[in-house]
Amino acid sequence: MSMNLEQFFPHARPWVENLANTFPGKYVKPQFAWWEIGHILSLITLGGTTILMNLRLLGAGITDEPPSEIYRNLRFWQNVGVIGIVVTGILIGSANAERLYDSAAFIVKMLALLAGIVLTYGASRPVAKADGAVGLLPKIWFAIGSAIFLLGLWIFAISDLVNVGVYHIITAAALLVLFVARGRLRWVYLGVMLVLIAAQFVATHIVYRGDDYAHLNPVNKAFTVIFSVWILGCAVAQIVRAGRTAEGGALPRIIAYATILVWVMGAAAGRWIAFA
Amino acid sequence: MIAQFLTWLQHSLGKGPAADAQSWSEALLGSLNFWNLLEGSHLIGLMLFAGTILVVDLRLLGVTFRGTRVSVVSDRILPLTVFGFIFVIVTGLGLTFAKPLFYYHNIFFRVKMILIAIALVNILVFHSRIQATQDSWDAAAKPPGKARLAAAASLTIWFLVITCGRLIAYDFFECGKPHSDFINWAQECKTSEKGEVTLAGKRL
Repeated sequence: MSMNLEQFFPHARPWVENLANTFPGKYVKPQFAWWEIGHILSLITLGGTTILMNLRLLGAGITDEPPSEIYRNLRFWQNVGVIGIVVTGILIGSANAERLYDSAAFIVKMLALLAGIVLTYGASRPVAKADGAVGLLPKIWFAIGSAIFLLGLWIFAISDLVNVGVYHIITAAALLVLFVARGRLRWVYLGVMLVLIAAQFVATHIVYRGDDYAHLNPVNKAFTVIFSVWILGCAVAQIVRAGRTAEGGALPRIIAYATILVWVMGAAAGRWIAFA
Repeated sequence: MIAQFLTWLQHSLGKGPAADAQSWSEALLGSLNFWNLLEGSHLIGLMLFAGTILVVDLRLLGVTFRGTRVSVVSDRILPLTVFGFIFVIVTGLGLTFAKPLFYYHNIFFRVKMILIAIALVNILVFHSRIQATQDSWDAAAKPPGKARLAAAASLTIWFLVITCGRLIAYDFFECGKPHSDFINWAQECKTSEKGEVTLAGKRL
């Protein structure tokens, strides 16, 4: 199964095909590589600021300062990153529209962008600004942003050829939990993760041949679920164990996890546009 | 010598006796998903690595976190940066292993490697010389000129590294196309599989 924009807007193809020949696409095309570099640099700026702002809500990173101070110092650069990815994204998209029109990963990327903006500006930043206090409005925005995030994740997971990209989000989540978890939980978590990775390797390289896709497909899908459940379970354990601190209770941490991972999904989906 | 080693790496290492056997490098490049996963991971690793370096350098420039000690910012962020660096190095090595000859004869890859070496020297200079006096300016909103210079150099170099990294994928200077003598020399096109072609169209 796969989704793309053509399924939703089939009559738009002639217009999409012509986009690269009109403003701004035709002016962007000769300098495509440079706009793409601008897109990556914006993504990096957004990534660094988002990771640090939300790690603080998770009780990690620059813990010497309150979340509001992290927010105050990083908000400008985070805006630069978001504006940068949107502007450069529109420009490179206009020069490459046909590919995006046919791409399932592009739908995921757009949902991630929307969810990322909602979660960042509606939930994460207001919560950081209020030092972990979660008002009604951030709760509403978090619910909306999470719903869009999960829709994007679902489309990513069910789309043929690009669904392997979900492993980027799983990897990021795995490393995030490892970084944030403390004490015995961290070591148990890491130990089980290593066992699961070894088990997946054995199943997909020794038990079944590398070209036996009929068996490898369900095995890999099963491991994807197992990894996800284990990571999610440990994240919940980490959130519960951390308890209520000066930066609030569980909700700010859930918001922080979601906000980091939604931008990872956007970056991953963006890369998989080029692959399938 | 290097080209010979890379040819062996790409075409021979791990190759079995069967007629259609692949080397490990060819298997990686031809894998259904693994190469794509490596490349995507390289980009996402960059978000962590370069994104956190950006914040540390902005503090050293006196642009952000002006009220927070430099040591606090660097001590808290640098472990993430180091992890991100290891992550991009490992994924980068994997990507290079899949196409060693392509990268060896790519001018952007060569410039990227030189820039990474310069960036590492810059880090060494910062830690050995500039950081030696950090106690005296640790709390300063605007660190001294030397520290700001090192931060500006770091930002510039990493910006160029990322730029070159992206340009590797483009075939502007691909061997086998007509290029100036300098470009052909700089990426050793003569020893590449596609050979050297001068601007006059002469194949060497």
